[in-house]
Amino acid sequence: MRAILQRLVIAALAIYIVLLLGPIAGFDVPVIAARIAADPPQQLLQFFIIGIANGSIIAIIALGYTMVYGIIELINFAHGDVYMIGVFTALTVLSVAGTIGTNPSPGRIIVALVVALVIAVVFCATLNATIERLAYRRLRNAPRLAPLISAIGMSFILENIGLIWAGQAWLIPSLGTTGGASQKAFPDLLTSLTAQFGLDVNLLAGTGIGLRFTAKDLLVIVLAAVLMISLRLFVQNTRMGKAMRATAQNRDAAKMMGIDIDRVITTTFLIGGGLAGAAGLMAGLYNNTAWWFMGFRAGLQAFTAAVLGGIGNITGAMLGGILIGLLASFSDGYLNARWTNAWVFTTLVLILLFRPSGLLGEQVGQKA
Amino acid sequence: MNNTSLRSGVIFGILGGLVVFLFGAWSVMVIGVIIGLALGLTFGARVKEKDMLKAAQHELVPASVAAAVLVAISLLQNFVLAPATGKVPSDIGIVIAANIVGALGLIFFAGLTTALHALPPRQEQIGKLALLAFLIVTFPFIDSFAGLRWTPQLIFALIFVILGLGLNIVVGYAGLLDLGYAAFFAIGAYTTGILSSPQHDIHWNFWLVIWIAAAVAGIWGLILGAPTLPLRGDYLAIVTLGFGEIVPVVFKNLTKVTIQDPITCWILPGLFRLFGSSTTTQCLTLMRDEDLTAGERGINPIGRPWLPFIGEFQSDNPIPWYFLILAIILLSIFLIRRLHNSRLGRAWMAIREDELAAAQMGINPVRAKLLAFAMGATFSGFAGAFYGAYIRGIFPSVFDFSVSIIVLCTIILGGLGNINGVIVGGLVIMGADRLFLPALKDFLKGLMDHTVLPALASNHTLQLAVSQNADPILYRFLLFGLTLVIMMAVRPEGLIPSAQRRAELHAAEELAGPTIEEEITGPTVPEGKQA
Repeated sequence: MRAILQRLVIAALAIYIVLLLGPIAGFDVPVIAARIAADPPQQLLQFFIIGIANGSIIAIIALGYTMVYGIIELINFAHGDVYMIGVFTALTVLSVAGTIGTNPSPGRIIVALVVALVIAVVFCATLNATIERLAYRRLRNAPRLAPLISAIGMSFILENIGLIWAGQAWLIPSLGTTGGASQKAFPDLLTSLTAQFGLDVNLLAGTGIGLRFTAKDLLVIVLAAVLMISLRLFVQNTRMGKAMRATAQNRDAAKMMGIDIDRVITTTFLIGGGLAGAAGLMAGLYNNTAWWFMGFRAGLQAFTAAVLGGIGNITGAMLGGILIGLLASFSDGYLNARWTNAWVFTTLVLILLFRPSGLLGEQVGQKA
Repeated sequence: MNNTSLRSGVIFGILGGLVVFLFGAWSVMVIGVIIGLALGLTFGARVKEKDMLKAAQHELVPASVAAAVLVAISLLQNFVLAPATGKVPSDIGIVIAANIVGALGLIFFAGLTTALHALPPRQEQIGKLALLAFLIVTFPFIDSFAGLRWTPQLIFALIFVILGLGLNIVVGYAGLLDLGYAAFFAIGAYTTGILSSPQHDIHWNFWLVIWIAAAVAGIWGLILGAPTLPLRGDYLAIVTLGFGEIVPVVFKNLTKVTIQDPITCWILPGLFRLFGSSTTTQCLTLMRDEDLTAGERGINPIGRPWLPFIGEFQSDNPIPWYFLILAIILLSIFLIRRLHNSRLGRAWMAIREDELAAAQMGINPVRAKLLAFAMGATFSGFAGAFYGAYIRGIFPSVFDFSVSIIVLCTIILGGLGNINGVIVGGLVIMGADRLFLPALKDFLKGLMDHTVLPALASNHTLQLAVSQNADPILYRFLLFGLTLVIMMAVRPEGLIPSAQRRAELHAAEELAGPTIEEEITGPTVPEGKQA
């Protein structure tokens, strides 16, 4: 009885503090409630669509975090920046293929997109595996924080490469000569593609539902679903997938069973990097910006998603990605975009404190 | 013996020359003295001679070699590189005078430090400290005499030294990787800003505000540290990183703060309305639409310290600021030394080694970790208060993630857990960032404009690409990143490691004989003996 009372008092206090201080961080309950009540119900669904599309991209990045963490227990801090490099790779390919500015034909756009996807995936996969080889491999038996610090260093190196890359106007004329620090435009090819096929930009325009669903949303969601399902099939059904699961469970035992650990880890990094490259192309096409610093924020959101779903768990990362996408979308829509990252972090802290194993992760003891 | 002495002379000469060839003839005087000291402290420590004069004679060869290299580079700079970068070479008389002073200074200080090694340990310590104190005190005056303008940049480096000392408590002693340390720096700076800026009509005295800023930062260290305690090492790092991201966002957005009591303001009115009553309640409002931080525009100006005889500290005279930050550093070093050797300091190290075992031995890990966060944040608060007063304006964008990582970089480079290492790391990293890179940029720009670009005039694309990318400041993140990656791979214990930390990181090599750096610098003195 007393324990229940105690909890009630703590809960009441917590609610009071949230109501008292929440408005400072845009969390003004009466204002938000009034706003949701005043909006048409479609608005909520609209934020839902945006959230799922952005969440799919986050989920794809989160897969890279979760797989690496599952296997070598390292937060690959540079992963978000590999994704950023993916955006710039795709932008460079699209630019070299002549799809920027000159009103290209639909065939050219489609071919360029496929080529950009392949090159971004291959490049980022190689990059990620190279990073593992150079910065993490020799620290595999070092104290736990050493590879994390090395990963942070790698992240800085990649961010700097992005910054330099974004300043190379001779390579990609559309970047402009204002230097690399500013946000750059990524061509909105999918919208122009729908226009060239004579479709309305909004695929649901004729249906009278009052929602906006574009080719961009469709492509991002479909591509993400395809990637996630094939990854799951790969991990569940192939020999290499089995080796990966074994290594994640117990590295030493897997080694004794004749599994080539180095090869498994390299494959994991290759897959993670490739997914980040694909996410880079998707994010560029969806949000139409390329920025050297975008990997930091995206990486933190994706990491939060991976933890939310249960780190090491592939299905969990997908679920977590979608949930974080929805959270960000509703926060952008109903609170204020400038607080969105703060809310994502708050989520991260709350999960780590109250359910460190995440939504789908198995309960494990604290490993020091 | 002769071979190594030649080699170390050449190495130190080139190190000094790297600086001289960017800064020109005058810097030879300052660099000569610094290189002489460094040579004496490293190479000279190997001279095993009981007679002071004989010991100094041993140092003569490498010191002369270093001086010769230094002078050669200086002359090269003045007569070959300066014209190529479009600068007017200095007057030949001045160049010769500066070079003679620099070379003699180098040899003299190298000999002096080496001679000190011949004294009994206690006197040797005192002698070294006196020498160091003499140089530190005279530096700003020499600097202003030579017209190098290094003192303002050195003050920045010293701010980062304090930050490094504070972070060292959290990361080096307690072993908690804090990636959001800039948050406490920001809290200290903003506390100072809000309490002493005319923007808020509070105008408190700097000497009071700096203590308040440190206390507020320390309290926030407790508040932000508390939720992270149950977390494992790498999760803790990410959560602190999150706090480090949120705090500047909060400061950026505290421009229209309204704090109202929710019960009287809308729960009760709502209930009344629900039951059809027309009673109204008094709404309790703490503040309404208050602009605390002025958002992106930042707080500007901020009050400055005042002292009798000196008056209010001015921005065009860095010398009082230099001695103020020096005083803060000395106080910090004293406090941190005491902490390190205290019961709490030993508890921190026990937790770092093995938290479970430490808890079994009766250490309260929660208390020790919280205190580590709070103490670390307190020093950051000092640094923040000084920074706010020195810069006179603070903006949320200054306190971003990169600051936390630069501080981490300084302590990793210098040596986790070792005060001397942290100081050297801070000076090296910030010296590179604030002095070396800008000078290198000027040098490269001059070289590009006067020599390289005209030669490339035929190829316009190449010319543009070269001129755009020949800016070393663009690559500073790359350098910080490389520092972290390379240090982790090659020397995770840092340049000047603490004995304990090193033993931990090299447990496997314990029996494998002396390590490479022992070959160069001689066996490491255990930390306790240095104090």
